[in-house]
Amino acid sequence: MPRTAPQSDTPQGWRRYRQEIRFLVVFLLVLTGTFTLLSLNSVNDHVIEPFTASIARASGVSLDLLGQDITRTGTVLRSPRFAVNIRNGCNGVEAMVIFLAAILAFPAAWAARLIGLVLGVLVIQLVNLLRVVALFLTGAYLPSWFDSSHTVVWQTVVILAAVLLWLFWANRFATPRVRAEAG
Amino acid sequence: MRRGGSARPAAASRASGGPSWPLQLTRNLLLWLPPVALVWLLVTPYYNLFLTHAAENLVRLTERPDVTRLQTHDRHHLVITRTGARVPGLPYSVRTTDVHFHLVLLGALFLAVPSVPWRQRLANLGWALLATVFFHLLDLLFWVKFVYATQLGAWSAARYGAFGQNFWGLGKHLLDLPVKLALPLALWGVAYLGELRRR
Repeated sequence: MPRTAPQSDTPQGWRRYRQEIRFLVVFLLVLTGTFTLLSLNSVNDHVIEPFTASIARASGVSLDLLGQDITRTGTVLRSPRFAVNIRNGCNGVEAMVIFLAAILAFPAAWAARLIGLVLGVLVIQLVNLLRVVALFLTGAYLPSWFDSSHTVVWQTVVILAAVLLWLFWANRFATPRVRAEAG
Repeated sequence: MRRGGSARPAAASRASGGPSWPLQLTRNLLLWLPPVALVWLLVTPYYNLFLTHAAENLVRLTERPDVTRLQTHDRHHLVITRTGARVPGLPYSVRTTDVHFHLVLLGALFLAVPSVPWRQRLANLGWALLATVFFHLLDLLFWVKFVYATQLGAWSAARYGAFGQNFWGLGKHLLDLPVKLALPLALWGVAYLGELRRR
């Protein structure tokens, strides 16, 4: 007599990983879609460039406060010791988009997502301001350290900030709804 | 990649009055960053060598005849050259180390997860590293094609149309900036999403 397989509510096969697959697909779609949109010339010229110029302005003010003799032209900051052009990759947009993608991919209420986005953008831009100021000072006083600091150290720090913000957001703001749904 | 499983229930962790799970993770992450960075620094010259040779083989799968040569220039760079006729703009230098510096964040993130057995943490890290090595090779393939399609002036224009230039240019841009920076978080999310939702 054939045996019948035991019935179970636990999903089998790939369905066990449905939430993880959904997270990855939504995350990558939002990430690549947003960056493709931002790479269009019209978006870059009318949104990203003015935004980057505002970051350059804030960084210039901060460096002036630290005693640097800064002149700013668009996205270029210049002092008698060093000059830097703030470009894509240094304006914090990449960390903000990664944060946005992670928030949209994680199951949560829209209100929680909105709170996360507002707080996250503020904190990421603060960390990025710190990055630009620190990099300028590194270029001015420790020029041999500039390249490694620019690409390796501060990129990691800004992305780390976005990762930690997302973890705290997911734990503090997003999970109550998940627990309620699970219950 | 296996999903995170608890070594002890979340309720017990909360009831014990210790730091919350995200705080434990943050503390562990900050503690793991220096040793992981040190290992990455030590391994980087050898990994760059491997990536250079493996990427050359991958690029050669996409061309006939096999003319692309990738050579290590110093500990951190590779140069792209072609055998045969001289191409203006080559050799072109790429900083290989920049392709994989996110390994520091990836390693620390996967090792820092609290309340998950070591065996499972290492297994998940192994799968994540394997996926990341394939990503590095794909990124370098797009780097070489991006250089050919957009960086060699008249030579590029004669061989790549508008679609080809945009395809390789956008692909390299997406892989080398957002996807590269986001990969540790994406892979960690896949491995520990269930763990994060339970906490």
